Amino acid sequence: MAYSKIKLPASASILTLFGFILLSLQLMSSSTQESSELSEMHSWLLVINTLGSITLLILVVVNAYSLVRELKKKEAGSRLTTRMVSLFVLLALAPAAIVFYFSVQFLHQGIDSWFNVEIDRAMDDALELSQSSLAQRMNWHIKQTRQIAERLADKSDTLMALEIGSLWAESGAMEIAAFSSQGLILASSSANPSVILPHLPDEQIWLQLRQNKEYFAFDPGDNDDMMARIILPIGRDQSRYLQVLYPIPIRVSDLADSIEFAFIRYQEMTFLRSSLKTSFSLILLLVLLLSLLAAIWVAFISIRNIVAPVKELVKGTQAVADGDYKQQLPVMNQDDLGFLVESFNQMTKRIARSRDETRIAGLEVENQRAYLETILANLTAGVISFDASFNIRTANQAAYRILHVPVSHFVSQSLSTLASKHSELADVLEAIQHLLENADDIWEQRIVFLGPNGRQELLCRGTPLFLQDGSRMGAVVVFDDVTDLIQAQKNAAWGEVARRLAHEIKNPLTPIQLSAERLQHKLAKELPEPSAEFLQRGTRTIVQQVEAMKRMVDDFAEYARPSKKHVGKLNLIDLIQEVLALYQPSGIAFQSSFASRRVIVEADPVSIRQVLHNLIKNAQEATTEKCLVHIKINKAVRNNTDYVEMGIYDNGSGLHGDQIETIFEPYVTSKAKGTGLGLAIVKKIVEEHGGVIWVDTSYNAGAGFVIQLPVFEFGNSE
Amino acid sequence: MPSLARVISTHLFICLAFWPLFSAADSFVSQIRQANVIYTGSHFHIQTQIDYQLSPTAKEALHKGIPLTWRVRIQIRKIGKLWDSTLSEQSLPYRLRFHALLNQYEVLKPDKENEMFLTLNAALGFMSSLQDSNPVSADLLRSNQRYKLAIKCQFDRESLPVPLRPFAYLDSQWFLSSDWYLWPIQK
Repeated sequence: MAYSKIKLPASASILTLFGFILLSLQLMSSSTQESSELSEMHSWLLVINTLGSITLLILVVVNAYSLVRELKKKEAGSRLTTRMVSLFVLLALAPAAIVFYFSVQFLHQGIDSWFNVEIDRAMDDALELSQSSLAQRMNWHIKQTRQIAERLADKSDTLMALEIGSLWAESGAMEIAAFSSQGLILASSSANPSVILPHLPDEQIWLQLRQNKEYFAFDPGDNDDMMARIILPIGRDQSRYLQVLYPIPIRVSDLADSIEFAFIRYQEMTFLRSSLKTSFSLILLLVLLLSLLAAIWVAFISIRNIVAPVKELVKGTQAVADGDYKQQLPVMNQDDLGFLVESFNQMTKRIARSRDETRIAGLEVENQRAYLETILANLTAGVISFDASFNIRTANQAAYRILHVPVSHFVSQSLSTLASKHSELADVLEAIQHLLENADDIWEQRIVFLGPNGRQELLCRGTPLFLQDGSRMGAVVVFDDVTDLIQAQKNAAWGEVARRLAHEIKNPLTPIQLSAERLQHKLAKELPEPSAEFLQRGTRTIVQQVEAMKRMVDDFAEYARPSKKHVGKLNLIDLIQEVLALYQPSGIAFQSSFASRRVIVEADPVSIRQVLHNLIKNAQEATTEKCLVHIKINKAVRNNTDYVEMGIYDNGSGLHGDQIETIFEPYVTSKAKGTGLGLAIVKKIVEEHGGVIWVDTSYNAGAGFVIQLPVFEFGNSE
Repeated sequence: MPSLARVISTHLFICLAFWPLFSAADSFVSQIRQANVIYTGSHFHIQTQIDYQLSPTAKEALHKGIPLTWRVRIQIRKIGKLWDSTLSEQSLPYRLRFHALLNQYEVLKPDKENEMFLTLNAALGFMSSLQDSNPVSADLLRSNQRYKLAIKCQFDRESLPVPLRPFAYLDSQWFLSSDWYLWPIQK
């Protein structure tokens, strides 16, 4: 927060930068003027501006390199930035380059226009004129001086000192002096009375004097004026010298200075001609570079700022495309892009809210579906739903348990397909299919079929499903295996019959029998022989039939009465072998195949023996020729429970279709003798032990019964 | 990008490696021929002999009226363990100028007095002898300390006309300064 307070706005920073650049360029421009005080700082300003240009160039290169990397990585907004920067650079560079080219051209032409041959010649001529004028004046002064020297030639030093004053006055010189070759002043006279010592020649003049014997030159005067210095030997021996200083008129001196200044200035400009061009071009280039690079750098920053919301938008869009609806982008500016970003944020918010609502609704639906599935799965009744084409949509676990067919594996397939794969269910499935197709309302029907565990009876209820517009959308069929229920009802009915028989029939039998025996006892002795014998036969018949009826009623009562069992663990194989041993003398051929020699079951051994006896007797009675009984013991798993499966097969006449359905009911028999309770009792015992018995319909060589009993331990295979 | 950087760095390396050869191809630097330190008990008086050289470009510039300025820098340095410290320094400017009208050379001395010479050699010869240098007080120096006298004749590029200055730093024709010349001195 504090940082944002002290942070300068980008526009202020940019304005400051441009202010510095303008100031620096102005200073550099001013420093090119020789008269400017800044001229001393020219080199430094040049260096500073060059360093500034290099710094800006580095910044631009770094930005460009960064942009190229972003472009290679295909980062969001990089292409737009590149396009905008390229456009800006082109738009800025093209006019700047044109302006620079023509500026340089004008500059060079302008500088060249300062110089021409006429001015050159005029300047040379002016200088030469000045020099000629001065030379002429100098020659005249030399001649004057030479005359003075000749007049002093034969004078002694003393006379010379006396005469030199008049000579000075005649000559009009500024100063006149005579000195020896050793530099001793012999005589002097000056226009300035304050000057005690004359202007003696320095070492350089002495050096020339010794070389050339004479010296004449223009020297600068004391007051920025000019004077002519002429030194000539006095006489021939060169032991004395005469120095005369002639003043140059101020007007002549000023004109000469002016001409010299102009000439020198022009010469200097001529010398600096190429340097000027190059220097000004360099400064112009520096100005161009500095301005252009600064503009490009600022363009990079500005364009990045402009593109930043677009970049964020692209990233946000990508995130939304990837399923992240929580994207909220920062609103940087309240402009069009800011409005776009705000709209994007609102859009993502709404999408996220809708997504959440949809997800919640979906979860609820899923929960409901799972709940329904759980309920359906745990229903004891089988439930199969169908679509409008009567193809299976769903089937619960109970359907598999009841039909013994994985119905759920046939989803999206018709019942006909299921029937073709499982022919044992063909009848029931075709019946259901028929009902589904033809029923317009709820229907209920019992369907009997032979399942793998024998006869099964299903109570089916079908409900057609309709849409709101009345069109059929499918159907649902609920069915339950009521075989056991029906059987229990039958058993209960038979028990009631047995109880009534015992009460209504057996009770009168004893008086009948006693009455018959009393008749026999009372009348046997009184009746004649034939009549007595007739009576005896009649009463014996009555007693025998009564006994037979008593046994029949007892048997039936025995069947109907819940038996008392002594359940314990026993090895079924040992029990079977014990029973089979009893039948060895009877001539029955037994064939046994046991998957294990140790099959422990929890059962009443007496009841299981009775089961085996009944089944073997049935086999024996059903066989007219050599009786062959095959007993198989295998392990079976049903509903995650281990069972021992005992199959007993004979080579008798077998069972017919009608018989199979009722074979386990009481008083159902195909034999002339027999009560018809044998198999009914067998079934009762097996069911009392938690097992099942059914007719193996796949066996055609005789009758085949399969019994499944829960097994406690099934030993390893032999 | 890497290949461009490699090319630039290679060229830069070649330029830097051969820079001394280029710069030393035509040497017009001044030379300090000799230096004498005369100890008078209270002061050290310094005398030097400098050989000035002018490159063709400098000579042309001089004759075109551009004044040339040298600064004779004289330092007394105290020898330290790591670096030397400067005890005193004086800079004596000499300006050489050509008067086209008079066809003479003017030398402006450090004391602002000027001398006119008919020839360039005479003017340079005049400049070669150090004049007007201030004697160094002996109180600055300790007897148990070692010192160095450092002299350099430095061509003042900044006194050149503005357009010429940038090139004077790059063109060997304008490399007219001498190196530092060092002499040990002791009190």
